[in-house]
Amino acid sequence: MSTESPSASRPGDAAAGEAATNRSSLETVKGLVYRYGLLAVMLVMIVYFGAAQPFFRTFINSMFILQAASIVAVIGLGCTVSMTVGGFDLSVGSAMSLSIMAAAAAMVIGNMGGVPAILIGIAAGLAVGLLNSFLIVVARIPDLVATLSTLFLISGLTLMGVGGQSVAEGMAFNGETTTGKFSPIFKWLGSGTVFSVPSSVIVAGVIFASVVVLLNYTRWGRAFYAVGGNPVAAAAAGIRVARYRVVAYLISGGLSAIAGLMLAARSNRGDVNVGDPFLLQAVSASLVGYAVLGANRPNAFGTLIGAVFVAVLINGLTMFNFPYYAQNFVQGLLLVVALLMSYTLGPNRR
Amino acid sequence: MPSADGASPPADGSSRPLVEFKGIAKTFGATQALRGVSFDIRPGETLGLLGANGAGKSTLIKILAGIHKPTAGQIIVDGQECEFSYPDDARNAGIATVHQNIDDGVVFGMSVAENLLLDEIAKPGNGIFLNRREVMRRARTVQEKLQLRLPLDAPVEDLPPSRRQEVAIARELAKRPKLLILDEPTSTLSEREAEKLFGAVRDLQQRGITILYITHRMSEVDRLCDRAVVLRNGRIVSVHDAPMDRRAIAASILGELVLGTRHESRDGDEVAVEAKGMRSRPDGPLTDFVLRRGEVVGLTGLIGAGKTELLEQISGHRPILSGSITLDGAPFKPKDAGDAMSKGVVMVPEQRALQSIFPGEPLWNHCTVGLMNFFNRFGFMERKREAAFTDEVIKAFQVVAPGNAALIEELSGGNQQKLLVGRWLKQNWRLVILDEPFRGIDIGARGLISRSLREFSTTTPVLVCSSDPEEVIEVADRVLIMVESRIVHQEKSSNLNAEALAGIMSSVDARPSASKAELRVQ
Repeated sequence: MSTESPSASRPGDAAAGEAATNRSSLETVKGLVYRYGLLAVMLVMIVYFGAAQPFFRTFINSMFILQAASIVAVIGLGCTVSMTVGGFDLSVGSAMSLSIMAAAAAMVIGNMGGVPAILIGIAAGLAVGLLNSFLIVVARIPDLVATLSTLFLISGLTLMGVGGQSVAEGMAFNGETTTGKFSPIFKWLGSGTVFSVPSSVIVAGVIFASVVVLLNYTRWGRAFYAVGGNPVAAAAAGIRVARYRVVAYLISGGLSAIAGLMLAARSNRGDVNVGDPFLLQAVSASLVGYAVLGANRPNAFGTLIGAVFVAVLINGLTMFNFPYYAQNFVQGLLLVVALLMSYTLGPNRR
Repeated sequence: MPSADGASPPADGSSRPLVEFKGIAKTFGATQALRGVSFDIRPGETLGLLGANGAGKSTLIKILAGIHKPTAGQIIVDGQECEFSYPDDARNAGIATVHQNIDDGVVFGMSVAENLLLDEIAKPGNGIFLNRREVMRRARTVQEKLQLRLPLDAPVEDLPPSRRQEVAIARELAKRPKLLILDEPTSTLSEREAEKLFGAVRDLQQRGITILYITHRMSEVDRLCDRAVVLRNGRIVSVHDAPMDRRAIAASILGELVLGTRHESRDGDEVAVEAKGMRSRPDGPLTDFVLRRGEVVGLTGLIGAGKTELLEQISGHRPILSGSITLDGAPFKPKDAGDAMSKGVVMVPEQRALQSIFPGEPLWNHCTVGLMNFFNRFGFMERKREAAFTDEVIKAFQVVAPGNAALIEELSGGNQQKLLVGRWLKQNWRLVILDEPFRGIDIGARGLISRSLREFSTTTPVLVCSSDPEEVIEVADRVLIMVESRIVHQEKSSNLNAEALAGIMSSVDARPSASKAELRVQ
């Protein structure tokens, strides 16, 4: 029977028509889950935690949550930018560690002030980005393996630089007790507030807004996505593909560094390789973000939601005395659910 | 003599055809790739299989190689009906295929010897350990049997392409096939490399091996094939015997040579582009041409003539091999496509899906991706102007689309093409190049684009490349004809008809290799 016959209104075909309606409403449900599923789950979670635990819905606790989310969000935004050009930056965690050690060492061992230390930390992150872009763009090593080797190199370098010890005020270095202090400006980054909003949340907010603007409203963001979407066509349209990939990895390294500084400022010490676990969290925030609002591609808003989602989840579960050692499992579960939404329910992209 | 029926009876009762195709049809969804193809391959002959892109050659080969299953029809090999479900079935029936992309036929990082024995190595039950000496010994036996002289020790990637091709062929021959399929074996070879491969093919012919030879190049059919069949729109349209009538073959490949809409041939104004001493392949002949404002120049030639290679050098898509280009009197040497565009030269590339489409992106993004300079203020994209521009392109080129925010995949191929060509014709450029802009679009759309190009050319020189004579005459004022890497002829389009043009396209390696060598020396 022809599927195009305009006979659906005839009584005999009512059943077929109904079946078609059912199918299309199933499609609609799939589409809704795909676009809003993750946001809905998060909302339900917040309402549930809030109802069950009065402390959960206090202002202070929501600031705790945002503070926890802000570091993951900042590195995640870096990952997101590298993903827009079709890349993948595995070295974000080690770039974070390097910048922590560089900035802490500058203050404690080098007796420097807060501003130069912050600049040194950011420069360290940019250097990692530069190394990545050299390996990927000039040496043409595939993104994944290039940044994997950078991960090892940089995390090794970080350890060597300070002889394998953590950097803290009054530490011994080369047989002498250091006299440098963490500067007040630096400490403000970790524990300061503006109108009772933690400064790290504000920094993360500013970075988030900048990345949103960059990716969605500027020609450079357009070019990033074009390079990631089809590098051959991007080059044919006159986009300098290599240049954009370099810039994307620089942004990724730089944002990792900023996240590192935010973390070090909170604890006021530079612990070795403390950034490493953030790689997985940041990457999963970016990937979870694909599924938000049906974007189906790396995007800043989704990454932010991904980071906040994890923070809400961990915060809430901790209040229910959920064992800390099961946190990874829960995060993994979240990632799988989000990936199911974007890949299984989402439109098939060839 | 050409005949409409491919299944010619054997010359005498004794020689049964090696392979018989009987009414092979294949449909993919709504498209009919093959519509009842019947012909035979006789033992010991080299049969050429020709046809334009999309004629169904690849589908036919894939069916014979067991990659696709035919929708209808039979394949009879050596009198036995065969049903190939997997490539292995075809292989077991004695059909060996050497695919177009040479490097699919060899494994890099292995020696020539190991490559020759690859199928044996891969076969289960051949032991787990392989020692080098044993591999060499067995490879030498293969080599002796096939009378080859290959450097067995060398890593295969160190061999020139033609010898790699030989390794791939040798691997297939080691299986003692009844039929060897060579799928455009010279398409990625240079002229000199191709000569060497012809030598190898002639060796095979002398040893009585039956070959199905797929090619786009008329000269190869002439030199290598005993018979040739031409496929068009999924049907066998003619069968030709040696000596080949190139004109008839070309006409048969290209199809009904209906006269397109006629127009006057404008002379053009001042010279805008002058190219001197350019080559389309590293050892190819030198070639010169000029383009004027106020004219559309058509560049034509059979596939493989080197058109795209020439265009891509002008548009910065690949480095200039030799010679020089001047653009409005000033030297022009683009570093890359972006550089060419910033100097006012833009190209619509041939492979739409690969070179122009961003999967999952909306139409407005496709319209402005190459024009971002024009649609931003201080780096911020102006969405409203982009949308308005896209609407303008959609309207002017009658693109059938649900709106400017529709995804590119929602459009049919022809409408994608109208949009992708149209987006460039709303700006000022110094040279616009289009490589096969009419591929996969209907006559109406073609006329529309042709008219727009002619209008646009009053201010900007336009160079259109197409291997379809009818299209070229329809769009161009002046036609450049390229044969085997060289522009051999140019003519006002009003002095040409499609048949004459097809004749020139196919005829002229009238002066064969001797004069070609001479041209290279220049």
